[in-house]
Amino acid sequence: MIILKAGILAFRELIKHLVDVILSSGRPAGALPTIQVVNPSEVRHDLPTQVVVRGCGFTSTRSVRFMAVSRARSSYIIDLASMDSSGTVETLAAPGSHGTPGKKRVGVALSAFIMRRSFVIRYGAALLLSGTALLASLAMQHLFAFPYPFLFLFFGAVMVSAWMGGMGAGLFAVLLSTLLVDYFFVPPFYSWQISATAETYFVSFVICALVASWISSAKKQSEQALQEAHDLLEIKVSERTAALMKTQAELAHLSRVLSMGELTASVAHEISQPLTAVVTNGHACLEWLSATPPNLDKARQSTQSIIQDGTRAGAVVDRMRALFKKEQPVTTWVEVNEIIQELVGFLRHEAATRGISIGLDLAPSLPQVKADSIQLQQVMLNLIMNAMDAYRGSTATASEVVIRSRKQAKGEILIAVEDYGPGINPEMEEKIFEPFFTTKLNGIGMGLSISRSIVESHQGRLWATSKPNGGAVFQLSLPIESQDWNE
Amino acid sequence: MSDARPTIFVVDDDASVRDALCNLLESLGFDTQLFASTEQFRRAFQPQTPGCLLLDVRFPGANGLDFQQVLQRAGISIPIIFITAHGDVPMASRALKAGAVEFLMKPFQKDELLAAIEQALERDRSGRVALAELAVLQSRFDELTPREREVLELVVSGMTNKEIGSKLGISEVTTKMHRGQVMRKMNAASLADLVRMSDKLQPRGLR
Repeated sequence: MIILKAGILAFRELIKHLVDVILSSGRPAGALPTIQVVNPSEVRHDLPTQVVVRGCGFTSTRSVRFMAVSRARSSYIIDLASMDSSGTVETLAAPGSHGTPGKKRVGVALSAFIMRRSFVIRYGAALLLSGTALLASLAMQHLFAFPYPFLFLFFGAVMVSAWMGGMGAGLFAVLLSTLLVDYFFVPPFYSWQISATAETYFVSFVICALVASWISSAKKQSEQALQEAHDLLEIKVSERTAALMKTQAELAHLSRVLSMGELTASVAHEISQPLTAVVTNGHACLEWLSATPPNLDKARQSTQSIIQDGTRAGAVVDRMRALFKKEQPVTTWVEVNEIIQELVGFLRHEAATRGISIGLDLAPSLPQVKADSIQLQQVMLNLIMNAMDAYRGSTATASEVVIRSRKQAKGEILIAVEDYGPGINPEMEEKIFEPFFTTKLNGIGMGLSISRSIVESHQGRLWATSKPNGGAVFQLSLPIESQDWNE
Repeated sequence: MSDARPTIFVVDDDASVRDALCNLLESLGFDTQLFASTEQFRRAFQPQTPGCLLLDVRFPGANGLDFQQVLQRAGISIPIIFITAHGDVPMASRALKAGAVEFLMKPFQKDELLAAIEQALERDRSGRVALAELAVLQSRFDELTPREREVLELVVSGMTNKEIGSKLGISEVTTKMHRGQVMRKMNAASLADLVRMSDKLQPRGLR
């Protein structure tokens, strides 16, 4: 009776699961197309990967770049900008987000791509394992003349099946084991009959097998749930990180525009100098041409000067535009010294107007660092402007700002901006990096805080110290082999 | 007054602007001398050279407006035309009040520059003429005896011979004689002429 009940119970579970499997495999994919990675073991978050996109009426193979990959490789976030061709890209965006190719990054969690083992494999494995357990038990009984049938191997088969194939496969293994044990090992042997004496023994076997199957599949399920939660969390984290990165880039842009605003006079000067030369040379050229006889050599020289000066004005405008541009940071290999020199060339005039000299002490042949050159320039601009502001209202006779660059032993490049102004109160050395902290009359107190977040996003550090005999040093270190911090 | 051709002195820290100005001024037939800083100009400048100064307002470590005062204090009266990329009204009014000929905003047109330069050179020329006249007057004045200087001072203050005589305690005839000497030595055609001359000499000779 009990055996029958157990058998029916197990069978019902099995049927229920089979129905589930069949239904889910026939269900059409949701609004979100699925993406299957051709070779999951080769997925790297920074390399283009071949994927098959299915759904929304098309199937195609394309190359995408993943922004984030969960450890189990069961979910991904895709950088839509990296899709190698346009057209079907929009359909990849999650509902509610409007991805424009090449413009916006849309995180798409693809839980669809969970490598589920197929139905045949799971139930086949259960069959195989039960069979193996039978053969091994028979062999042991006959070869080693075990006094009792060694049934623990069946428990093993059930547990492994449940682990690999889930509840359904586990119950299938229980059913198989029950039948096999009944036929081969429960007296009377080689018949489906069960003697009264063996009934308890057999029932306890079935119960044990069921419990083993349940424990194993439940354990597996909870582990899977944990893994999925972990993946989801990871996706959320990378989405939040991307959003924060964007906010940071926007703030950085804003502060850049503000600091450029302070430099308006210098900028106007930088542009109007070459323009003056252009206009003046143009007039001169006309004069040389209208002389009798026309002085063509001089006219040619004048024209050449015009071209040179015009090019120079254009370069100034380009440099300005780069600083004003609102762009996501782009990391490239940059020469720190080059960045400093370009910036200083730009600031010399401002410094001169304020009666400050800028001294450079740059270590030759520094290794390149991976960084966003505009953002790095912004940090330097901020530090140098601060250093110059330190002399505001001071009566120091020799106003100098010194910029140094050094290679540190621990694989870092150190840049220091020094002034000889009033210095920083030691208690303030950390406080000055807080947002909205300012000592300037018309400052907004974002410069240093943004600078620090920029440096930290480059895996670097930015800190300030006071010098014993007056003045402040702002130092920033950048790792020489920086990781791709944009991810 | 020397007959030397006027020289346009250009002081600007930007080499391309300097060269462009040199090119234009050369094409207009002027002699130019270029300087990157006010310091260089001061060292090289000789006051007897006629000409005018094209001066940038902003300089590394110095200010064109301050330099204008430095020149004035040193008694160098070369006419100054300011050129600047970012002037404002207070800056311009300060420069013009201090005697600058013109305050040009960069970039400026040839005609503006030319007009300013012509005005500046005219001012320099008339200044030099006045200076030369003054030198002549001064030398004439130096020839006067102390008594004659006293008489001159009183004559131009509007006193009659009689009043002068009684003030100086000399006779009217003697006063007349001194007065005649003054008129002759100063080469004055009339009393009005003499008054004008003494006005010109006022800051220097007559105390």
